[in-house]
Amino acid sequence: MKAIPIGRLLRADTSGCVMGCRVSQTGTPAFGEMVLIPLSDGSRIYGLVYDIHIDDDGLVRQLVSANVSEEVIEDNRQNRNVPIEISLVFIGWEDASGRVSHTRVPRPPLTLDEIFPCVEEDILRFTGTGRPGYLRSLLRNQEIPAADLVTAHLRQVFSVAHHPDREGWRDRFLAEVVALLKDDYPQLMDVLTAVSAAME
Amino acid sequence: MTPADLHPMLTPSDPENRPIGYVVGGGLKANLFVRLTLPAQEVQEGGFVVLESGDWQFYGLVTDLQLGALDPRYAEMQNAARLAQPAARLLAGQTLYTNLEVMPALMLERGPEPGSPEYESWSREHQDENAPRPLPIKTVPAHHAVARLASAGDVAEIFGNPESKGFFVIGNTREQDHPVCINLDKFVQRSSGIFGATGTGKSFLTRIILAGLIQHNAASVLVLDMHNEYGFDDTSSDTGQSVPGLKGKFAERVRVVGLGRATTIRNHTPDLHLEIYESDIQPEDIELLTRELNLKETTSTTLEALVHSFGHERWYTEFKHMANGAMITDDEGKKVPAAGSVAYWANQEGVNVAAAEGLHNKLRNIFNCPYIVERDPADKTSINSLNDIIYTLKNSKHVVLSFGKFEKDLDYLLVSNLLTRKIREAWEKMTNEFRSSGKNEPRPLVIAVEEAHKILNREMASQTTFSTIAREMRKYYVTLLIIDQRPSQIYDEVMSQLGTRVSGWLGDESDIAAVLSGLAGRDALRGMLARLQPKEEVLLLGWGVPMPILVRSRRYDDKFWKELKGKGAHLDADQSMKELGY
Repeated sequence: MKAIPIGRLLRADTSGCVMGCRVSQTGTPAFGEMVLIPLSDGSRIYGLVYDIHIDDDGLVRQLVSANVSEEVIEDNRQNRNVPIEISLVFIGWEDASGRVSHTRVPRPPLTLDEIFPCVEEDILRFTGTGRPGYLRSLLRNQEIPAADLVTAHLRQVFSVAHHPDREGWRDRFLAEVVALLKDDYPQLMDVLTAVSAAME
Repeated sequence: MTPADLHPMLTPSDPENRPIGYVVGGGLKANLFVRLTLPAQEVQEGGFVVLESGDWQFYGLVTDLQLGALDPRYAEMQNAARLAQPAARLLAGQTLYTNLEVMPALMLERGPEPGSPEYESWSREHQDENAPRPLPIKTVPAHHAVARLASAGDVAEIFGNPESKGFFVIGNTREQDHPVCINLDKFVQRSSGIFGATGTGKSFLTRIILAGLIQHNAASVLVLDMHNEYGFDDTSSDTGQSVPGLKGKFAERVRVVGLGRATTIRNHTPDLHLEIYESDIQPEDIELLTRELNLKETTSTTLEALVHSFGHERWYTEFKHMANGAMITDDEGKKVPAAGSVAYWANQEGVNVAAAEGLHNKLRNIFNCPYIVERDPADKTSINSLNDIIYTLKNSKHVVLSFGKFEKDLDYLLVSNLLTRKIREAWEKMTNEFRSSGKNEPRPLVIAVEEAHKILNREMASQTTFSTIAREMRKYYVTLLIIDQRPSQIYDEVMSQLGTRVSGWLGDESDIAAVLSGLAGRDALRGMLARLQPKEEVLLLGWGVPMPILVRSRRYDDKFWKELKGKGAHLDADQSMKELGY
């Protein structure tokens, strides 16, 4: 786990949360990236980034139409009051003993809990538990862009440098996608088309 | 990844018993549906499958394969061109499928898992006569019961062990090449039939079965060999290769009988020449030739009058020697029938002259048959060759009656019916003696009849002895082995009595319906018969086999004979004595 958190929790329920972080092109987690939230009891919640939202404020509105220098822009980004809001969907959790579960989290994290990006070791631990049951929470959720999110997630896991069973995992992942969506032809084709584009 | 990988129950643990799918629906009437988890090409129509459901095993036959899709759009869209290869493959694996339609036929209790605590008590309760046996299907396997192709053990469980006495390998299962047996002891208990369009290998299959019967020696065999194929070595019309005859392979046990004096069969002299005494010909032998000779309705009256005049033994000879149309002038100058003429006799007996003369004319073909001879009462050394054939058959030997140059339907009908009538009388007498006074049990007899529709068609069946044999003679130890290419021409009542039916490819719908008449599941089997390979594939059906099965029939070649003779090398003492005619 990286020692540096990428943000803190703003609001949450058992299906997801919104975190806030500073404006930064490099430190901000990307769409589809896996993150985790350590809880005080030793358990950890895993989530995927499905939306990144940057709100404006009064100063930004003024600066947009003014002729400002690079220093002013940087100052505004670093010191502005309104954070970037990043929406996460929870995909599972890990208890204090390290057992991973792809089910809904027992209780939501608390406000201002720190949120960290997943390193390769975390990704492998979470995704290496047989059938990717967490897809259910992504594909059944009407609020999130399932096709793009699944694609981004697949891309991230597939790019793990030392994946012990890359093709096997991919096949299990796609088989689960098909199993969950086979009764919904338009959405399944939407997801598979997006995934296929990423796999080319 | 295949669907089998997704279904833990279908993970193959034993390659011999590799699952092919799982039950998804169906019933006894509508057949069972099995979702195939292998490529469709690995299972074919006619495949023998086993469904494992709890403590029971169900045995069935694949009667259809149907392509299906979860949603028609998955089938209609060519997604392989649109998606990445792994995605397309996995999509197809879950949304496109093949369903097998399986006609369930038998079920067998296999008990709890061996080694489990319940198994011990179960096996104690199911020993000897209580041992589980395959039963006709009465219920259905559960959903998701695993289906697999039958193993050699399954085939042996149902159709018998090739190593066991009386079980004769007729062919092999198509997919996995396991030997399929027929029980020859059961086979001879009822009449049976071998059917198939021309060129489908009926004659070879018949040779194979006859060889099995002769080798097993459970019954005597009489082959009415219209085309001189079975006795001596022949040449295949398809391959031009030599085809061994039964005489060559069973020299001591098979007698070839040629019809007529000095007849040779394929340049061989037969063991016996069959000549029929005129005294053996009876009115019913003539009546069954009604169609061949275009006889009139008055024939039976005339024949009756002839028998009345001359008796059963002399009527034919006397009628033959009558002059037809001979007239003399009487004292008054009128033309009147001459003494010894047909008309003279007819006038005396009050028979219609025209009818008698017409019959005489039409019987000229028979009068001229060289194999029908008048017995010389003074010749005490002459042997009635009909009786000789019957004696041979009674004494555990086998007879191939070759018709030589007499290949006309008339010869075939007359001789075969006459001989069969004699046989029927002899076997009825033996059976009655056996039942009433405990004499020796009659030797079972199988009469192989080629071109059976000629004597068992609707018009003739009621007149010939063959239909009586097919219907009733099982009780008298005589059964038929009917060989024909047009089963639809055979009288329904005869067809319905056939125990074992072996059918090669048939193209005509009516022939297919005839072969399947009276059988359960015939609708499911209909298409299978029409889609058999033109050669070497046959469907076994009927009472004589535990369930219908499609087999690749054995080849009638050196290997066959080596295997057959090899098996026969281990005869027990009783059988060896039988071989020697004791």
